[in-house]
Amino acid sequence: MSLRRRLLLTLGLSFCVLWALAAAWLYSNLHDQMRQTLDQRLAASARMVAGLVAQLPEDAWAQAAEPMLSIPQSSGVACQISSPAGEVLMRTQGDFAGQLDAPVAGFVNRNIDGQHWRVFTYIQNGLHITTADRLAERVMLQRNVIVVAALPFGIRRGLRPLEHLRSELARRDPETLTPVTIVDAPAELEPVVDTLNRLLVLTREALRREQRFTSDAAHELRTPLTAIKTHVQLALRVPADQTHEAMSRAEAGIARLQRTLDQLLMLARLEVDQAGNNRAQVNSTSIVETALADLENRERVVMVEHDSESVAVGVPHELAAAALRNLLENALRHTHGDEPVALEVQAGLREVVFTIRDRGDWPAEQSTHNLTQRFWRHGRGQGNGQGSGLGLAIVATITERYGGALEFTARDGGGLVARLSLPAKDHNAR
Amino acid sequence: MHVLLIEDDELVGSGIRTGLELAGFTVDWFTRAADARVALANLDSDIVVLDLGLPDADGLTLLREWRAQGLIVPVLVLTARDAVADRVAGLQVGADDYLLKPFDLDELTARLQALLRRAAGRARPLIEHGPVCIDSSSRRVWRDGLEVGLTRREFALLQKLLNARGGILDIEQIKDSLYGLDTEVESNAINVHIYHLRRKLGTGLIRTVRGLGYRLGDPRDLDSGGLK
Repeated sequence: MSLRRRLLLTLGLSFCVLWALAAAWLYSNLHDQMRQTLDQRLAASARMVAGLVAQLPEDAWAQAAEPMLSIPQSSGVACQISSPAGEVLMRTQGDFAGQLDAPVAGFVNRNIDGQHWRVFTYIQNGLHITTADRLAERVMLQRNVIVVAALPFGIRRGLRPLEHLRSELARRDPETLTPVTIVDAPAELEPVVDTLNRLLVLTREALRREQRFTSDAAHELRTPLTAIKTHVQLALRVPADQTHEAMSRAEAGIARLQRTLDQLLMLARLEVDQAGNNRAQVNSTSIVETALADLENRERVVMVEHDSESVAVGVPHELAAAALRNLLENALRHTHGDEPVALEVQAGLREVVFTIRDRGDWPAEQSTHNLTQRFWRHGRGQGNGQGSGLGLAIVATITERYGGALEFTARDGGGLVARLSLPAKDHNAR
Repeated sequence: MHVLLIEDDELVGSGIRTGLELAGFTVDWFTRAADARVALANLDSDIVVLDLGLPDADGLTLLREWRAQGLIVPVLVLTARDAVADRVAGLQVGADDYLLKPFDLDELTARLQALLRRAAGRARPLIEHGPVCIDSSSRRVWRDGLEVGLTRREFALLQKLLNARGGILDIEQIKDSLYGLDTEVESNAINVHIYHLRRKLGTGLIRTVRGLGYRLGDPRDLDSGGLK
């Protein structure tokens, strides 16, 4: 049900019900209160008139043949003064002839020309002073009071779902990211609640990923730190001739810590730089040159030459080179001894494809789906302090960010083929 | 005392091994869970230092297996995971102690000694056996209040005998404890150590049980025997 319709219906219903209830309520509570108040007013006016009349000379009434005072007509109220003999000395203009005569003092209800009147008679020195007001006026007053009282109630009822949502959100611990549930949410609120919940789910997933990554990263940093600390402590304990070995091992730990930190920072930079608009002019040849320049054991990389021209690539130079270097490092690390690693570059119109083939320790039949998982290591990458477990994850992040592709295939007879394709600049711009 | 070290990281493992050897332990070090399984089945290790992140199996799985097999050897768990839940999980599975990386070598040694002491049913590092008094934390030995110098192996053998609390140790158990797996041991090496211990601390210290091995002698034998 829509909020508007719901609001209208609720308001309408509550008015009907309240009007229906008005009678009961009126006659029980409000009615009594108002009757008392208005009756007091009626009596007070009668006494006031009596006070005024008492100022007049006593024989003034005897000489009067006609009503000597007249009061202009006003709707809803009436007044009459009659002598002890029953003569009307004064009366409000209108059709009240004989209607306001009252033999006894006090309040009485009277029907005058089809209208209900409240009549009060006050007797002073034989003078009967009668005041009256129309009951209809009283009812109107009561009704107005009811309407004014009921309106905010109806509005509050109609807006209750919003209030629910507000209190639900206010009550929540900012840390909890569970979906918001609103019972009987109206149509207008549903998209709001849905969007909010989708956002909460996304935030929760992102947060969980972050937490896992942070925990993994801390774990990865503790291991080289342990190696450094242990060997530094040993250096202080062992005989002088063994100090050198302990220190060189501590240094190896520091190198590993630094490598892991560098990789982590690069990954963090990649995550932050969402725009990725820093696309300096780079071509495939310079990428290969830079990647090889920073590589240890680069003499083991064998280039498979093609006559294709160098092509501009739509990926920042530093990142493209880092991706290629990580793939080559990985291949070299998992290849025994002096075995070469082949690098083939194929430049096309739409993309540049770098293919790296090794005869490393990857089993022929093993699935390659784990390769780009963060902190996942295999074979020679683990234990011997070589791999940070982040290299291939970084390559995957870079290719994903710039619309490239990365694919690994296990080779028959063991080893791995890595195929990295980066979009060409022109193609990317189109 | 023989320590079985299971740690996959080459740098960390080599450091711990050297550190523990400096502290007088005999260490055998393995990097994979599969090797550790075989080693523990064949070696009479006094204590195990177990890293949880192993390449071929989770350390906790290994520990659970051992406890299910009824192995009661004390296990100290090493890990880089510092969440309380991780620590609790390790202790619940049957670890006796827990050390977070990076740790201090002195702390590791002290904790291992405390675990060994408790496994032998003692609360203090000081052991008195008749006139012989042994401090396992500083590795010093006294007889009748006079300090006696022992070699690393002699001290380890003495400690092993004391921790056995009168039980009989066969030659293999003593060999494992003193030399571990790798070292080639000459057939009479243990006899030589026993001879030296008897010479330094009293003939009644070690009793030969024919066909079975050796056990700690009665403290009263030491009193009467004295030094010759």
